Amino acid sequence: MTVAAEAVGRPAATVTERLVHFITRTPVHLALLAIAVIWLVPTVGLAITSFRPRDDIHATGWWTSFNHFNFTLHNYDLVLENTKMGSSFVNSIIITVPSTLLPLTIGAAAAYAFSWIRFPFRDTIFLMIVALMVVPIQMALVPLLRLFRDLGIADWYVGIWLAHTAFGLPLAVFLLRNFFITLPRDLIEAARVDGASNLRIFLRVVLPLSVPALASYGIFQFLWVWNDLLMALVFISNSDLFPMTKRITEMQGTYGAEYHLLASGAFLLMIVPLIVFFALQRYFVQGLLAGSVK
Amino acid sequence: MTKRWAALLAVLLLAVGTATACGGDDGGGGTKEGTGTITIFSLWGGSEQEAFQKVLTQFTKDTGIETKYESARDFLPVIRTRLAADNPPMMAIIPRPGFVAELAKDDVLISLEDLGLDAGQINENYSDTWTKLTTIDGTVYGVVAKANSKSTVWYKPNSFQENGFEIPKTWDELLEITKQYKAKGKTPWAAGAQGDDNSWTLTDWFEQIYARQAGPDKYTQLFETGEVPFNDQSVKDAVNEMVKILNDQYVAGGIDTVLGISFVDSIGRVFGKNPKAEMLYEGGFVGGIAIGEVNPSLKPGTDIDFFEFPQINPDQSVDVVGGGDVAAAFVNNEDVSKLMEYLASPEAGEIWVSTGAIASPNESVLESAYPNELVKKEARELKEAKSFLFDGSDLLPGTLGQNFGTLLQNVVKNPGDKDNLLDNYQADAESAGFGS
Amino acid sequence: MSSTAVPGPVGKPRGRRLPAIFRRPGWQGLLFILPAVVLLGALVAYPLVWTIVYSFGDTNSRLDIVSWVGFDNYERLFTRDRVFLNRDSFPPEGALVNNLKWALLYTTISLALGLLIAVLAARVRYESIVKAIIFVPMAIAATAVAIIWKFVYEPDPDIGAANAVLHGAFNLDPIVFIGRADTVNYAIIFAYVWASTGFAMVVLSAALKGIPEEILEAARTDGANEWHIFRRIQFPLLSLPMAVVTVWLTINVIKLFDVIYVLSRGGPGNSSEVIATQMFDELFQNGEGGYAAAIAVVMLLLIIPLMIWNISRFRSERVVT
Repeated sequence: MTVAAEAVGRPAATVTERLVHFITRTPVHLALLAIAVIWLVPTVGLAITSFRPRDDIHATGWWTSFNHFNFTLHNYDLVLENTKMGSSFVNSIIITVPSTLLPLTIGAAAAYAFSWIRFPFRDTIFLMIVALMVVPIQMALVPLLRLFRDLGIADWYVGIWLAHTAFGLPLAVFLLRNFFITLPRDLIEAARVDGASNLRIFLRVVLPLSVPALASYGIFQFLWVWNDLLMALVFISNSDLFPMTKRITEMQGTYGAEYHLLASGAFLLMIVPLIVFFALQRYFVQGLLAGSVK
Repeated sequence: MTKRWAALLAVLLLAVGTATACGGDDGGGGTKEGTGTITIFSLWGGSEQEAFQKVLTQFTKDTGIETKYESARDFLPVIRTRLAADNPPMMAIIPRPGFVAELAKDDVLISLEDLGLDAGQINENYSDTWTKLTTIDGTVYGVVAKANSKSTVWYKPNSFQENGFEIPKTWDELLEITKQYKAKGKTPWAAGAQGDDNSWTLTDWFEQIYARQAGPDKYTQLFETGEVPFNDQSVKDAVNEMVKILNDQYVAGGIDTVLGISFVDSIGRVFGKNPKAEMLYEGGFVGGIAIGEVNPSLKPGTDIDFFEFPQINPDQSVDVVGGGDVAAAFVNNEDVSKLMEYLASPEAGEIWVSTGAIASPNESVLESAYPNELVKKEARELKEAKSFLFDGSDLLPGTLGQNFGTLLQNVVKNPGDKDNLLDNYQADAESAGFGS
Repeated sequence: MSSTAVPGPVGKPRGRRLPAIFRRPGWQGLLFILPAVVLLGALVAYPLVWTIVYSFGDTNSRLDIVSWVGFDNYERLFTRDRVFLNRDSFPPEGALVNNLKWALLYTTISLALGLLIAVLAARVRYESIVKAIIFVPMAIAATAVAIIWKFVYEPDPDIGAANAVLHGAFNLDPIVFIGRADTVNYAIIFAYVWASTGFAMVVLSAALKGIPEEILEAARTDGANEWHIFRRIQFPLLSLPMAVVTVWLTINVIKLFDVIYVLSRGGPGNSSEVIATQMFDELFQNGEGGYAAAIAVVMLLLIIPLMIWNISRFRSERVVT
């Protein structure tokens, strides 16, 4: 009530003020609008293209497609069946899930020890693990290929699981340890006094309290593996096991710039990360921020 | 919660353990009994793959041995990773004979003899041109499964007719047609040579011109023995001819586009539904891809046809320059032996050529097996060639073959800089020990 | 596992009969870190050492070492390999120089754009929407980023948006961004800036929000204008987050592979080759395992300074337990 009365009291001033405010802000709005458009156009263009018939794609730009409305799901049918994107989607899941859960569990266990158990050389070992964080995968390609060969695991998923796990571990240990040490000391001491074993404290006290950190790392690693091309190129040589990233590069080689296939293929690859992004945006951003040390 | 964690961990560890246990087995020893399934690897996808699949299907019908075809356009990286991982396919059809030699020397290929096959008898069906490719230090390591003439220039017969053009017999006539197309407001040529995986189209251009201008002797000395250096005047002359066509004026979109699109894209630019150019130079396989993949409504003989790459220097006999893919074995078992024998047989050749995708180097394959005039013509070209020259860049050792494509990318982009570029390449060749 | 945990206090009697090492406090800690240490040792540290060994040898097609060549691989890399470093041209060219180009341009532009957007977006009500739009490409695989931009850069103005704009607005002839040696690097850098700016924006935006409002208000009452507030107060406080972002982006540059592999394969010629793509080609296209290992070692050497910075930052922030 009082607000309304005030507003009625000096309407002219408000309008002018608002106008001045708006005008001084106009460049800001325009700049943001321009940036937003530049950032949206490439993805939107490809998205629309993935629903256009092949002949239309090669005849007119996607930006004209609203004038003569003609969309189809046929490209997705084609790409799922003819180019085996369907089975590659499954392969991507088979590769990604263990490659996320393994470093998560192993890393969490190590991080717990580094935070709450005293043992010799603890900090030295921890620092060494952190130092491994930025070792590029290139430093391990040749020996890993040979190692997997000697172990006889080169023709299945195990190699890439292990490689992703190992190269994801330093970050997991680093992140989770930094989170675990912020947990209240009293809580853990109390559990110790009650006679709980380390395993029990880890599973019953530390893990349940650390869901945000676990989720952040889990999402980061999930996307990292899902989006990876290099390790897939090197460690997945059986064409039945190709994940989507590798399948798309293969498609590009066989069919050239056939955008009805490439666009729908790229969208199948993007769909899971986009869902994760929109569903778990908070953890996602935290995970990426945390991953910035990698 | 706890139990689930533990169970999950247990399952994962178990999975890792089991997978570790079931490893691959090594070859070695004599020919073992087969496993009932053969994996065979090459680079064709799409219509070329379907054509080869027909051969494999027939093989399975005859023998009951299952086959599994795997492909990767990126042939070399994939086969190298698999070799390094000791997980090679049982067989591969290798597009680069230079690579066959490398593999044979590294002792990873199984020779025909070790497979229990009679190499002498198999080779009777092939001319020296082909057996030379599979014979390394006196041992035969496979058969040439398919051949392609690369001396084929693809054009549109009805467009030629409309414009009153004759099939060119000489290089000058071809240049004249090029000029006239341009004068009529059309773009005469298309080409696609993007990146490492398409630069071979430029090496093919160069080889055709060099063989016809400098002649077969110099060709051999340049690519096989290294007696002619790459900065020789004859190389520069060939480059000069090459850029008479491959320049901004005559190729669709200019040289930048050539270097920005793939080989498959370039076919679309000539024979696709929205064509942008009139002619395309590349090997016999263009027909199969154009009709099978790019535009199924093409009619051979009216919409698409080829003529032989025209003569340049009348003193040098016209030669066919082409390529061939070698079927080689990485695993020694009876199934592989059977498939190798089958691929060398005229029956397999006839099924394969009937798809229109390839020509067969096997001399016992009947001409009547070819489905259309396009491939018949190609097969004839291959058979009747006075001398057959093999794709030179595929014969260059080590990295030189790949780098030759990169060199030509730079040359067509900056023809004025060719002397310098060729000097550099020759220096690289020398430091790699080629020709010294 | 945990099902064996007996309820109630059971801590004391355990371990009595165990060997000495297990009686020392904290032996369980070793057990907890064992899987991680084993995996890292076997799959990261051990291969790392081997790669260094490899870099002094030549390999065959099965990647077995066939001969030792001393420092020849390194010598060849820096003196005779024009793909890696061409010192004959001026300015020098090659994969190493391209990485440097990337480190300068990609890092600066991503950082500047990220900062600009973070600052501007904070002043409008639809901040979260703008930030989401900029951030989404972070989630997308570099492979997909490459396909998206391949399509934007398509030479035909009826297919590629970039040339459609150039043609429609300025009537320019189509530019083959990916086919020209003088545009390819900038085109790919821009595509990757598009993908990474969201990261810089989020970090810097969070840092900006962390600056207490009272400080800014105090400055405003003192009559400082918005530019002064940004220049004198916000910007200095952002120096650490900006350094974090810069290091992250630079490490990204050194490891850069996917987007170039898919978009240009290092071409035309070798004009967009970077260290990681050359390493891959030497290893798998040319089968030169030893030479590729030498390139990998150079990559590691480039990353080590950044690693030291990261660790020292971590140590200075370390909370003692």
